[in-house]
Amino acid sequence: MGERPLLNRLLDALRCLPGVGPKSAQRMALHLLERDREGGRRLARILAEAMERIGHCSRCRTLSESRICALCGNPRRDASQLCVVETPADVVAMEQAIDYSGLYYVLGGRLSPLDGIGPQDIGLDGLEQRLAEAQVEELILATNPTVEGEATAHFIGRIAKDRGVRVTRIAHGVPLGGELEYMDGGTLSHAFAWRTEL
Amino acid sequence: MERKRGLQRGFVLHARPYSNTSLLLELLSAEEGRCPAVARGAKGRRSTQSGLLRPFQPLLLELTGRGEVATVARVEPGGRPLSLIGEAGYCGLYVNELMMRLLGRGDPQADLFALYEEVLTRLSVEPERGLLLRRFELEMLKILGYALVLDHDVSSGEPVRADRRYAYLVEQGPVEVLEAARSPQVVSGATLLALRNDADPGVAGRVEARRLMRAVLDHHLGGRPLKSRELFRPRRAGSIEPETSTISDHLDDE
Repeated sequence: MGERPLLNRLLDALRCLPGVGPKSAQRMALHLLERDREGGRRLARILAEAMERIGHCSRCRTLSESRICALCGNPRRDASQLCVVETPADVVAMEQAIDYSGLYYVLGGRLSPLDGIGPQDIGLDGLEQRLAEAQVEELILATNPTVEGEATAHFIGRIAKDRGVRVTRIAHGVPLGGELEYMDGGTLSHAFAWRTEL
Repeated sequence: MERKRGLQRGFVLHARPYSNTSLLLELLSAEEGRCPAVARGAKGRRSTQSGLLRPFQPLLLELTGRGEVATVARVEPGGRPLSLIGEAGYCGLYVNELMMRLLGRGDPQADLFALYEEVLTRLSVEPERGLLLRRFELEMLKILGYALVLDHDVSSGEPVRADRRYAYLVEQGPVEVLEAARSPQVVSGATLLALRNDADPGVAGRVEARRLMRAVLDHHLGGRPLKSRELFRPRRAGSIEPETSTISDHLDDE
């Protein structure tokens, strides 16, 4: 039996993208073949290159082409603050939204025992090494406010406190533009418990 | 399988993302027991469900769908969220993992649902979490049909005496041994009686009780250990300070 038609293989391959089902895969493939072959070639080249050359920063473990990412290599960033996040996407979100001049550390996951992810399975060794370098004065825990994210924050918080590092947790509560009436009880009770002085 | 219309009480044991905006849940419901369910669109930007569909939040759920995997048609809070913070959160995850591992799907047990609700509520307010977990483990095993014999020596039939020591044979019960014999499975009569009477066995007794329950659970878990136990363990020997007694009292290794 010969190989399956190339077009079918392309459709299947496109479906590895998030949110792409059979219908959108077909639209993308036909668009590239019928209207934009050059764009398709460029996409293929860059995709191949990116898959080979983009790795993880050896200091913060975010995605990076070089061994040390641009953020970690920037001498103007404040090494006394270290912000712990779950994924590289969180670094991007934080960088876009806030004026933070410290450094990051990407765990690459969170403690989730029911998914079989324990303390050995996320990047705690690298984080401990960073804490041991003694530059860090404040560790900012920015894991997600899920049950697993909270457990992760608590676990890391204990490690850092034992090393005498100040530990803070990002606030969570009522979203801007939200209305209390429609808020779920968990968010509301958290927002109330952690209210701040005006 | 036809599902009943209307709201039923339940909890999320575990949630994981499914496709772009949905959640794949493992629920514990009062009427259906443990059952998998999909909550469509629950992770979307506009959804208010993602704050609700999380562990330790009492829920009122309407489930639809004929197959094994239900669809969450409606969800409302069934009470205040139980605030399990820090170590209490670890304990909650441990309880959830035990439920996932020991309770089969589609086996509704009203007693177990009540027990689960009780242990979560008490974990959120009581500081003696080690004892709460031991009681939960014992009661859970009893409901599932693996009740432990704690009151008599299974070889002689004599009542357990507080001043004697016993080897605990899993799936059988205690057998008296000489005072000198020491192994993880050897416990004092006092500890067995304290477990039976839901009393505090004291500091040394708690360690014994924990080891005993751990050996029994490991047997029923069939060799694959519980992942949430790792949360209670110190990171590496010597890398952090000695554990406080409240932590080591729960379930970690010596």
